Amino acid sequence: MKTMKYIFFTIMVLASACTDFEDLQLDPNRATQTHPGLLLTNIEAITFNYIDIGAGLASRQLAYTDGASNEQYYNWQRAGFGRYNSLRQVTKMDQEAARLNLDNYRALALFLKSVHILELSKVFGDVPYSQALQAEAGTFNPAYDTQEEIYMQVLADLEEANSLLNTSNGAITGDIIYGGDITKWKKLVNSFTLRVLLSMSKKGGAISTQVINRFNNIVDDPDTYPIFESNDDNASLRFQDLVSNRYPYFNSNSLKTAYYMEASFVNLLKDLEDPRLFAFADITPQAADDELPTTDFDAYGGIDGSALLAANTNLVVAGVVSKVNPRYYNNPVNEPSNLLSYAEVEFILAEAAARNWITADAEEHYNNGVIASFDFFDAAGVNAYLLGSEVVFNPSTAIEQIVTQKHINFFMNGGWEAFYNNLRTGFPAFSVNGGGVLNNQLVPKRWMYPQDELLYNKANVEAAIQRQYTNDNINGEMWLLKN
Amino acid sequence: MMKTLHNKSGTGKPVTLIGFFLLLFLAGGMAHGQSFTVTGRVTDGTNALPGVTILEKGTANGTSTDADGKFTLMVGTTNATLTLSFIGYKTVEVAVNNQTTLDINMQEDVTSLNEVVVTALGVQKDVKSLGYAVQKVDGNAIQKAREPNVINSLTGKVAGLEIRNQTDLFQDPGIRLRGATPLVVIDGVPSVDADIWKINADDIESFDVLKGANASALYGSIGRNGAIMITTKRGSKAKTTVELNSSTMFQTGFIRIPEVQTTYGNGYNGQYAYVDGSGGGTEGGGWIWGPKLDQRDPSTPSGFWETTQFNSPIDELTGDRIPTPFLSRGRNNVQDFFRTGIISTNNISISSGNADGNFRVSVSNNYQKGIVPNSQLNNTSFGISGGYKLAKNLRADASITYNRQYTDNFPETGYGPTNYLYNLVLWTGPDIDVNDLQNYWEKGNEGIQQRNYNKSWYNNPYFQANEFLRGYYKDNVFGQLKLDYTVMPGLDIMLRSGINQYSLNRTWKEPKSYVAYDYVSQGNFFLSTESNFNINTDLLAQYKKSFSDNIALRASVGLANRWRNFRTQTQNTDGLVIPGFYNLSNSANPLRGTNSVQEENVNSVFGTLDLEFYNGIFLGLTGRQDWVSTMPLQNNSFFYPSVSLAGVVTDFIDLNTAKISFLKVRGSWSQVTDGQIKVNGTYPYQHIPGYDPGVNWGGTPSLQFPGTLIDPSISPETSETFEAGVDVRFLNGRIGVDAAVYSIRDFNNIYQLPMSNASGYTYRLVNGGEFLRKGFEVTVTATPVKTTSFTWNIIANYSQYHRYLKSSFDGSDRLGLIKVGERMDQNYWYGYLRSPGGQLIMGTNGFPLNDPYQRPQGYSDPDFIFGIANNFTYKNFTAGVSFDGRVGGVMYSTTNQKMWWGGTHPGTVNQFRDDANAGIASFVASGLVVVEGSAEYDSDGNITSDTRVYAPNVTPVNYISWNTNTSNADLTHYYNQSFVKLRELTVMYQVPQSILSKSFITRASIGVVGRNLALWSKMPNVDPDSGSDNLQTPSTRNIGFNLNLTF
Repeated sequence: MKTMKYIFFTIMVLASACTDFEDLQLDPNRATQTHPGLLLTNIEAITFNYIDIGAGLASRQLAYTDGASNEQYYNWQRAGFGRYNSLRQVTKMDQEAARLNLDNYRALALFLKSVHILELSKVFGDVPYSQALQAEAGTFNPAYDTQEEIYMQVLADLEEANSLLNTSNGAITGDIIYGGDITKWKKLVNSFTLRVLLSMSKKGGAISTQVINRFNNIVDDPDTYPIFESNDDNASLRFQDLVSNRYPYFNSNSLKTAYYMEASFVNLLKDLEDPRLFAFADITPQAADDELPTTDFDAYGGIDGSALLAANTNLVVAGVVSKVNPRYYNNPVNEPSNLLSYAEVEFILAEAAARNWITADAEEHYNNGVIASFDFFDAAGVNAYLLGSEVVFNPSTAIEQIVTQKHINFFMNGGWEAFYNNLRTGFPAFSVNGGGVLNNQLVPKRWMYPQDELLYNKANVEAAIQRQYTNDNINGEMWLLKN
Repeated sequence: MMKTLHNKSGTGKPVTLIGFFLLLFLAGGMAHGQSFTVTGRVTDGTNALPGVTILEKGTANGTSTDADGKFTLMVGTTNATLTLSFIGYKTVEVAVNNQTTLDINMQEDVTSLNEVVVTALGVQKDVKSLGYAVQKVDGNAIQKAREPNVINSLTGKVAGLEIRNQTDLFQDPGIRLRGATPLVVIDGVPSVDADIWKINADDIESFDVLKGANASALYGSIGRNGAIMITTKRGSKAKTTVELNSSTMFQTGFIRIPEVQTTYGNGYNGQYAYVDGSGGGTEGGGWIWGPKLDQRDPSTPSGFWETTQFNSPIDELTGDRIPTPFLSRGRNNVQDFFRTGIISTNNISISSGNADGNFRVSVSNNYQKGIVPNSQLNNTSFGISGGYKLAKNLRADASITYNRQYTDNFPETGYGPTNYLYNLVLWTGPDIDVNDLQNYWEKGNEGIQQRNYNKSWYNNPYFQANEFLRGYYKDNVFGQLKLDYTVMPGLDIMLRSGINQYSLNRTWKEPKSYVAYDYVSQGNFFLSTESNFNINTDLLAQYKKSFSDNIALRASVGLANRWRNFRTQTQNTDGLVIPGFYNLSNSANPLRGTNSVQEENVNSVFGTLDLEFYNGIFLGLTGRQDWVSTMPLQNNSFFYPSVSLAGVVTDFIDLNTAKISFLKVRGSWSQVTDGQIKVNGTYPYQHIPGYDPGVNWGGTPSLQFPGTLIDPSISPETSETFEAGVDVRFLNGRIGVDAAVYSIRDFNNIYQLPMSNASGYTYRLVNGGEFLRKGFEVTVTATPVKTTSFTWNIIANYSQYHRYLKSSFDGSDRLGLIKVGERMDQNYWYGYLRSPGGQLIMGTNGFPLNDPYQRPQGYSDPDFIFGIANNFTYKNFTAGVSFDGRVGGVMYSTTNQKMWWGGTHPGTVNQFRDDANAGIASFVASGLVVVEGSAEYDSDGNITSDTRVYAPNVTPVNYISWNTNTSNADLTHYYNQSFVKLRELTVMYQVPQSILSKSFITRASIGVVGRNLALWSKMPNVDPDSGSDNLQTPSTRNIGFNLNLTF
């Protein structure tokens, strides 16, 4: 009997240690498939975040004093391929949508893919696209598409996205931008197409004809191709006072202590007597000591983004430089981030009219854009402003005026668009002669490819470099910027 | 029960095996009937020898001695011969010759190493018989001069074991055995949670370090990288003894502390004026590039230059601050802030035993008072162990330890304002006296705004110490139950089940106005809980047989199961409503939380065969088959073989003429597969793709797909180890050398292979590649002096180890930047452009140009590691002194880089800095400028053509800009990490028996002990012992005393 007790004990101990192996082949902490709406929220929160102070430095709207900023002094090096991670999320959403036959999500996927791939292409030139995002099918070394191929594919995809978007193709859930409003999505797709077309304005020949025709197709047929009609249509990510939903620079120590308004931008706004300056900037410490009102243009100052760091810090120490308006770091919600704003769309139309691409009143679109921008920034006095001698529409300097207004509208909003518009048009001119600028006092046109590509996709990236620039350098001119 | 074994393994064997064992159990219940009884006692001449195996020669009849060395055996005839064998002793044969009582004396076997080690599964073996490297460290060696963590005490004591001692409170040391993390085993039970803080040093009998997979292959997938076997003390004495061990160490000074300049204060470009501490004045950016201190100025009331400072009085009329003199008040801020730490350890244990059983109970408390104010660590253990002879052939043994680690606050490490050193060393100018910061709330704003000289970037260290609290409360329970059943002499069955359980509760209290990197807190409370349960069960049958004097066999078969369940949960507030009230109910916004559950299971069958020929040739074979849950089903089963061979040459050839008293050669081979994917910690589902949580936007949850593409047919990685060694003793053991050389081939590695991001994924989880780990280890023991009153013993360890890339993935000639054939530990980093001659190349602005390619900066592994311990015994005094160190290799130093960057480095005190303060750019960096031509590079960054013509750089730059931009570009901030440490010094006095005999005390010793006493290293400002520098706490010198009493 005694022995039996021990046997029984042994069996109990062994039995307690057993679990089924099949049960352990399921991860209890993660889902293996999902509804595309659950992916859309995350993708939108990433894709629609267009707040980037580095872009502000390169675009001579801001200047940095805690060290020599590479962006500001045009000492550009390599950029990254991080956006392909966002593209992976879009690809997954597309796969889940295809599995469930949800065409509206597929349309959104086409649009979102287009947004990301163009951002990549504008940074480097040629990048992988037609063979990209296919690791699951075994393509680990995607070849590079030419920038031209990418732009053509994007234009085709945007066309298809517009036609796929339809209320009969099921509801869009998880949409934190438009709450599932299909019409607003169509407006965004077509308005965005206009931006893409205008970004190709340097191209001549057959491409130019194609671009202009497509532009007209959209503008002429608002029933098929609706576009933005007011700020209500803005492609906006609205921040909320919740953890990880707040304005990206809320509570940012850097923005509070090391970023200042750039002199050429402040002077531009002063010259134009532009009251949006009061929404963008804080008054200088000296002005605060002198108790100047915030509506006094003399209360604002900037530092030259191209000047030597020590010269700029001395000005800061002297108290004559403005920081950004405190709302950018004190207000957790601040203002929405715009992937595309109604004001910009009006400026796009104005420029197309000024270029005689379309038959429209450039001045009217220009004024509409300025009014929409004042409305967005809650600035008063737009009517008086539009009558200002430097502001009032002048056909002989139309493109400069339009792009300059677009530039102002991009302050702390719109990512690198202000910079790319400068590359395309030269407006407004960026200061390079203050003594601090590297790169032989040139404004760079691109970034070098990531070193990871040289390590893991060598043959393809080398072929792309060779056919575009001979060697990988930041002053190389990509297809988009050539005639 | 056991359904997995027969349905997935596809074999019915385990079930058959169980049945076999059960039959053995029943068979063993039968007793023998004998006529003649012999009783006796076995000693070594003085002390009783328990556990000696006694066999009636020519039969299977036998027994073993009890704790008093006594035995009783019924033999068949009055002329029987008894064979007595015991590890480390010469086997003795005694004729009974009608005697009923025998007193037998056994002699130590001088030709063996007199050393018994604990091998895999807790089986004790004679070192002589081993074909692989095992090194033993006696528990006594670590119980006098104490470390907060028992593993730290092994530093320098074992060849091939690298311990990276951390200077920060309650941080795990880095443990690397032959370059990889070994398994920790307590009394034969693997402790995979790897919490080394739960082990009470006073309970340790010995450490046996199984250096490679050849020794630990029997542990299967978890034994791939060797094991540290910890054997705990058992009560074995017949007499009840009480032992008290008390040790107190004071952290009285620093052997390495950053030295900062005391000439210039806070500010930027030589200017400083405090307005509001967050950017209102020149104090906002928080640089230490301010005005020179202690400057005479006859125009001020104080006679010194004055400016507004954070503690300047406020003019009641204007509300502005009144300037105060700018003086070097804070010359000793770092020393002033830290306090004397204490490591106090107290243990009391009671042990007892008799012929049938033994018992030990032990209570320990380890209290560490941190050198940071308001930081501490408590570590309390309560252990009980015992064994009892339940029946004639059956013995039960059990132990359980409850351990609690608790602290209300221990400091955070890493770069950033959460680190005290960040605030004190890097970003407090000498114009601030840290004592002025003790009052840390702003008046009228208590609980809401800390008082500090800068409120955007830095924390008042006293505010941090008293208000930012990181609690840690962990309860560990571990122990085992073991049954040993002797079926018949020579055949034993063991059943052992061991558990490791813990629950951990952590809290973070973040006060309002607390500065984290790049944001100021709204107040928050974080809570995390973890619970872990791990059970290991082994069933083992062992058979021993001597076929003749010349051939003996030891074989075993076994079954094992390991199961683990792990749960985590975190919750945190999003802002606090009531400041200083740390409760989830006080969250300003909805709570956030996460949770997870993990479960894993391993089933195993294993067997061993040890053959001994002519008492001098030893062949060992082991094999184990595992079925794991942590791999895809089709790849979840694998076999682990090992072979070892040892030969004692001196048993066959007399080498005494060469003064060689003992020579053993050994060799071994094993192949061990790792059942777990370790790319993402020990998460058991790494082979299963799935969505992770994405952002929650305004209450809308979301998902995202991770960036690693998982190969669905992923299979486990394997290490093949070859090892050869020699153990040679000269002059009757006065000098001994044990050397081992090994080569470990890691193949079919599971690797997160980086790939083109454009493919849609950042990494692929794939099999492939081969790494080679090669090394060499020597231990030299010597007794230079041995007289009746004085003995001097030396143990010296030396080891070297490197890891190489043997082949890469997908036929590539490189892995990342490492090419096939190269060492894996090269550091690559983007730096500044240098000419082929190594000089910096400057741009037209006088600043260095960036190099767009990463370049090698040096290896991180040391060339070799060594340790030398000397022990002296003179009459009743014993003294020990030990040194150890690591030589070679480089280490990146965040502390040094940031000191140059921020302005606190003493090297920044020079004329250029004075010029920069005056607005003059006077610093011309040593280097070149390119006047014409250019260089072309291939995609590896090698120069393909170079037409550059250089001229010396002549462009002066502002010295402050130079440092704030380049952190002094002359330095890469990779430093040689070589060091030698005076690790330990102890002097103990053993109170003589002549005094003690009048008291109840049987043994007493008292001594002075010190650890971490001196450091020799060229590395500036940091102690390289930690192996990395991300702003470490200054390294303290620990001195104290030890008292040990037995009664």
